[in-house]
Amino acid sequence: MSSKIGDWVNERSGWRNHYAAIFLRKIPKINWLYTLGSATLFTMTLQFATGILLTLYYVPEPTQAHASVDYITNELTFGWLIRGLHHWGSSAMVLLVILHMVRVIAYGAYKYPREATWFSGVALLLLTFSFGFTGYLLPWDQRAYWATVVGTRIGEVTPFVGGSLKSVMLGGEEISGLTLTRFYGAHVWILPAVLLVLVGIHMYLVIRNGITAVPKRNE
Amino acid sequence: MNDDADLPKADHADSSLTDPAAQGESVSRLDADTQPDEDPQLDAKGISRRQMLTRSVAVMGGAIAAGVGIPAIFYVAGPAAEDSGTAEWIRLGAASSVEPGTPTLMKANVERRSGYLTSTEELSVFVTTENGTSFEALSNVCSHLGCRVRWVDEQDGFFCPCHNAVFNADGTVASGPPPRPLDQFEVKVEESQIFIKGIA
Ligand code: HEM
Ligand code: FES
Repeated sequence: MSSKIGDWVNERSGWRNHYAAIFLRKIPKINWLYTLGSATLFTMTLQFATGILLTLYYVPEPTQAHASVDYITNELTFGWLIRGLHHWGSSAMVLLVILHMVRVIAYGAYKYPREATWFSGVALLLLTFSFGFTGYLLPWDQRAYWATVVGTRIGEVTPFVGGSLKSVMLGGEEISGLTLTRFYGAHVWILPAVLLVLVGIHMYLVIRNGITAVPKRNE
Repeated sequence: MNDDADLPKADHADSSLTDPAAQGESVSRLDADTQPDEDPQLDAKGISRRQMLTRSVAVMGGAIAAGVGIPAIFYVAGPAAEDSGTAEWIRLGAASSVEPGTPTLMKANVERRSGYLTSTEELSVFVTTENGTSFEALSNVCSHLGCRVRWVDEQDGFFCPCHNAVFNADGTVASGPPPRPLDQFEVKVEESQIFIKGIA
């Protein structure tokens, strides 16, 4: 990137310093397992892109939700692809985030000075699950309905606050149009906003602390 | 990393802005900072491992972006290509209700499909006849920017309130900005009922 435009922008923004800090930083000799975090990040980007596209047609309203999903999948050009990517991407992301965490555990990468990275990671794990849970209701079919019944009843057994937790999640005593709109709002606004902030913090900490080396047996 | 390193200081701003050598230097200094300590290993064509990797990442990233991006264009544009117009004859009403010499506004409900939704829309059409046997049907949508025109007896023309256009009784433009006459529908009379077909 030593093009004239790059120079022009660099002179006014100093972006090359940041580019270097992010992408050209020194790292120890590592292996493919260290790509799992980046793979999660990539899936997240894909989820954002395809999710935004889905909102162009999806309608979070009880009489239309399923019809709109059906239209996306069966009638719209490439609708099956966009929805399919988002659908399978969500499972891939859950899988990748868990594998990434397992690598961090296996290599002891959560230790000083990376505890904060780990904590932000725990929040990201919960967020990833929340995305899956709220997104699952949106197609508004039998499976979606009963999964949410079961999911919110699991929430209900939380000590002390379980009852109110369930009614807040459902927006009432049972699943209704209000549940659908709040799951939608959470899925497309609240969770993405929080996710972006936390990913920012997580990545900042990863770059700031540097990446761990592969632990050796005799250390 | 020090952000300020690259910003020209006030006293030598001129030289660092105009002297290409000064700029080139600051860039290569940055590269030197971040390059691995070993000499870059060049292959026969003089491409370093880093360049090779950067390029492959760019190519793969481009391929993935195109793989999602190109279908996305079709996905977004999809319904625009769908034909929502009506290919069927629409019944407007009795031919006898059209007064010879005066355009008569007739209405019909049409079903319109957009995506998975069908909605009923009211279609308004000016029907004209001179002799009570042959009929013409004019759209009431102004050919300028789509406001609704109305018939004004005193002016013997259609008037569009949006930009003061006037159309003659046959739909041609009398004055104002519209680029073409009012659109016409195909008309047929069956069992003394008027039917129209065409643009909607
Ligand atoms: C949306 C979810 C997540 C994303 C996008 C993400 C992304 C990343 C990336 C790109 C790295 C760089 C190193 C690598 O890839 O292994 C990293 C490192 C790290 N992540 Fe995550 N991560 C996520 C979730 C988690 C979770 C669930 C945990 C643990 C609870 C976690 C803990 C850590 C720690 C401790 C490091 C530092 C590892 C080291 O220095 O070797 N992350 N993360
Ligand atoms: S829209 Fe009718 S004159 Fe402009």
